[in-house]
Amino acid sequence: MPEELLLEVKALRTYFHTARGKLAAVDGVSFDVKRGEIVGVVGESGCGKSVTAQSVLRLLDEKHDVSYEGEIRFAGSNLLELKQRQMREIRGNEIAMIFQDPLSSLNPVYTIGEQIIEAIMLHQKIRRKEAVRKAIELLRLTGIPSPEQRVWEYPHQLSGGMRQRVMIAIALACEPQLLIADEPTTALDVTIQAQMMELITELNRKLAMSVLLITHDLGVVAETCQRVVVMYLGQVVEMADVASLFARPLHPYTIGLMGAIPRMDSDRTQDLQAIEGSVPSLLNVPSGCRFAPRCAYADEQCRQHMPELKRDAASGTMVRCWHAGTLAEAFEATEAAIATETSEAAERAEEKGGVQHAIYP
Amino acid sequence: MEKAQPSLHLAKRKRAFGNRRRGLLKRLLASKTASAGSVLIIVVAFISFFAPWISVYGPHEVDIVNRLSPPGTEHWFGTDNLGRDIFSRVMHGTQISAQVGFTVALSVAILGLVVGLYASMYKWLDQLLMRTMDALFAFPAILLAIAIMAALGPSVSNLIICLIIVFIPSVARIVRSAALVAKEQTYVEAMHALGASQTRILWQHIMPSTISPLIVQSSFIFAEAIIVEAALSFLGAGIPAPMASLGNLLADGKMYIYNSWWMTLFPGFALIISVLAMNLFGDGIRDLLDPHVRQGKGKK
Amino acid sequence: MTAFIVKRVLSLIPILFIMSVIVFLIIYLIPGDPARVMLGDGADEATIQQLRANMGLDQPLILQYGQWMGSALQGDLGDSYFLKKSVSAVIGEHLQPTLSLALLAELIAIAIALPFGIWAAVNRGGWADKALTAYTLLGITIPGFLLSMFLVLLFAVQLKWLPVSGYAPISDGLWNFLKFLILPGVSVGVVMSSVIARIVRSSFLEVMNQGYVKTARSKGLRERSIVYKHILRNALIPILTVIGGTFGTLLAGAAVVESIFNIPGLGQLLVHSVSRRDYTVIQGLVLFIAFTYVLVNLVVDLLYAVVDPRIRLNK
Repeated sequence: MPEELLLEVKALRTYFHTARGKLAAVDGVSFDVKRGEIVGVVGESGCGKSVTAQSVLRLLDEKHDVSYEGEIRFAGSNLLELKQRQMREIRGNEIAMIFQDPLSSLNPVYTIGEQIIEAIMLHQKIRRKEAVRKAIELLRLTGIPSPEQRVWEYPHQLSGGMRQRVMIAIALACEPQLLIADEPTTALDVTIQAQMMELITELNRKLAMSVLLITHDLGVVAETCQRVVVMYLGQVVEMADVASLFARPLHPYTIGLMGAIPRMDSDRTQDLQAIEGSVPSLLNVPSGCRFAPRCAYADEQCRQHMPELKRDAASGTMVRCWHAGTLAEAFEATEAAIATETSEAAERAEEKGGVQHAIYP
Repeated sequence: MEKAQPSLHLAKRKRAFGNRRRGLLKRLLASKTASAGSVLIIVVAFISFFAPWISVYGPHEVDIVNRLSPPGTEHWFGTDNLGRDIFSRVMHGTQISAQVGFTVALSVAILGLVVGLYASMYKWLDQLLMRTMDALFAFPAILLAIAIMAALGPSVSNLIICLIIVFIPSVARIVRSAALVAKEQTYVEAMHALGASQTRILWQHIMPSTISPLIVQSSFIFAEAIIVEAALSFLGAGIPAPMASLGNLLADGKMYIYNSWWMTLFPGFALIISVLAMNLFGDGIRDLLDPHVRQGKGKK
Repeated sequence: MTAFIVKRVLSLIPILFIMSVIVFLIIYLIPGDPARVMLGDGADEATIQQLRANMGLDQPLILQYGQWMGSALQGDLGDSYFLKKSVSAVIGEHLQPTLSLALLAELIAIAIALPFGIWAAVNRGGWADKALTAYTLLGITIPGFLLSMFLVLLFAVQLKWLPVSGYAPISDGLWNFLKFLILPGVSVGVVMSSVIARIVRSSFLEVMNQGYVKTARSKGLRERSIVYKHILRNALIPILTVIGGTFGTLLAGAAVVESIFNIPGLGQLLVHSVSRRDYTVIQGLVLFIAFTYVLVNLVVDLLYAVVDPRIRLNK
């Protein structure tokens, strides 16, 4: 593929300085995002995906809590080497971000219009009147009904879905090249979730805007992303294009996550068979493979030695597992049911965007 | 990286273990604030207790010939307008302040505990007691104190009564809210179900969880009582004049502020040190007893 | 909005009632007959009886309270036996100096507390933060009247920059007015500022962790705009609350400072009335200050609605 790289993260380490020492919440993560592409970053909470996202914009408190290593190349320059002043030119202008909880992400004491206008006037030299007009246009674009009135309402007067649309409008204010969406649908209910993902994919197509989508939901990834990065405890454990990941998942963690895909057509709680145990704290990172303590297939080698991220010859997938090849075969052979489901999901990934098209033409 | 992890983990466990083993007293000594406060309290207590033996002059010994003499070898802190030794008067003043502060803090702790606990137990009593406490609390402290002293007339025992009335609400409120939290806990509900008597539940099971905020608040009230006592005496509405309370000393100091700075400075510093001792102690104790604050501080 | 105001005002009624009962009952703390105590030992029986009748002491307690409160609500707090004037008039005469002092002190307190508290919060854990901790400790340790005396020793007695005591109304010119108020204003203001700064700091720290601060940062706003536009307004409610609280304390707590600087305000009136045993004035004054205090807090409550649209727009 000859596409141009927009974002290139190389061996990123994000350290938190705590009373108990320097902890690497992101530990040597590399991936990239091409122009116009949607890349998903998946993992359970606590796996470092959100910290990765915030590291790209350097939103974490560098004065007290955090230091970085590695490289984040965006449109040619290394973001980690920029001064805060230069970083501010990028934030909101070149790279925009939306967050998990749309209520707490909007300032309760200002109208939504004021908050969109602020973003517009910060990076563009236009008059306020013009900015107001543009804010209304953005609200219309993100599917908010009667934007002329809504623009002067306060966040608490809007529903959760509306608030997230406002967040997207703020993010789009300066037509960024990259949108980082950090769990944009987690706090919303199921029907709104689908509409929101629909909106994001549509904006991606219309505006040729790349999207880095952070989520814990592989189902969402299947429907929206071209490529996917699976993270576990600060590391990348598997990285592939969506079709091959769903056709032939290699890492036991990915396989486990697939078992946990909630499906809209059935009872949610029943379908959610999570991987046993939970992500360990950064204070006791296991030696050897980090997933070993929760892995059904782990042996002595896994517990002693950390596997490298290697390319799987068959599918081109990058995977960090000693038993990647054998497991994939076992998976295909014995878990036929899941395999069917996931290939369905892969199909859905290919024909994505069909369902709610009518709502946002 | 991988090698560092186990040792980090071990260090953490060791620390947690050590924390549990060390008693409250040792942790008290480990906290800089609390131990500084404790040392100051011991010094103040020592001085106030041994005041009559430390100073050569009596606090009421008049020596008109040597009136208003500046600090020197004869009178360390100088003398006042009647030739009385300031050093001796400051020590006695500190003693009086400490006695008033202690009596008030202790009485307020006991009474506030009773009011707060029973208010948490019975709805109707809660309305009655806590509305009254709210109203008392709504008065600025010094205003209420002056008004009460105006009616009672200046004397040490009246001053103590007055300060108790002024400070009870703050303790009662804190005890009540701690008790309400404790009441919600399952073991207390279980005691109810087992048919334990109200009084027993109140004193054996709810009371213990109100003790640590009570201690913290009482030490702050100790400090606050010293300040209000000094202010009232300063205005002539507290401890009556010839007695060497710090407020009276400062009132004398104000009359001679043009030419005898020592009459203001030394009693002033004595007041600051006494109050500082209790505030440091209270701060330190609060950090020790409140795990939330401790954690917060650790993070920062 | 209207419902919010009505609710706030109604919630004050029980507390004002109990406060007035407490003030009313203060006179019954006097050991013996108040009229006799007021007039001293030399008074003859007829005068005492007349004063008792004037003060209504010969009537049943409830009736006394009813009459006292009834006329108080119409602005009549009774007459001072010693000053031969109505208590309301006496209060009116002493109001200006106290209000001037309280306002100046509050301004000084805010001018110190706001930047100091913000500075400490933004640099939490740094030396600015530690300085604030020490400042707060000193603030609660050194009472205002003591700081006043130290400042007088330094600036009035040693350096002779400012007068030791006295008061001039603002009609005598701004500098004449201010020169007497600077020392008392600074000493009260500094003590107040330590309390306010502490709240500014903690309120800021809480708001700084909110999601919208991260949103503001992700828009590319500079830190200063984030602090003053996005954080300050959200952090304002607890700050307003504590400022309202300190203003009430200023009205009353200035008593000691006023007597040091010989300022003819409400505090000095109170102190003089105590030594004159002028109980009508004491009662009236305490009631006036207490009610003012409660009303200031009501105004603060209403300011919440101005600051926060969620309070304003929730019917």
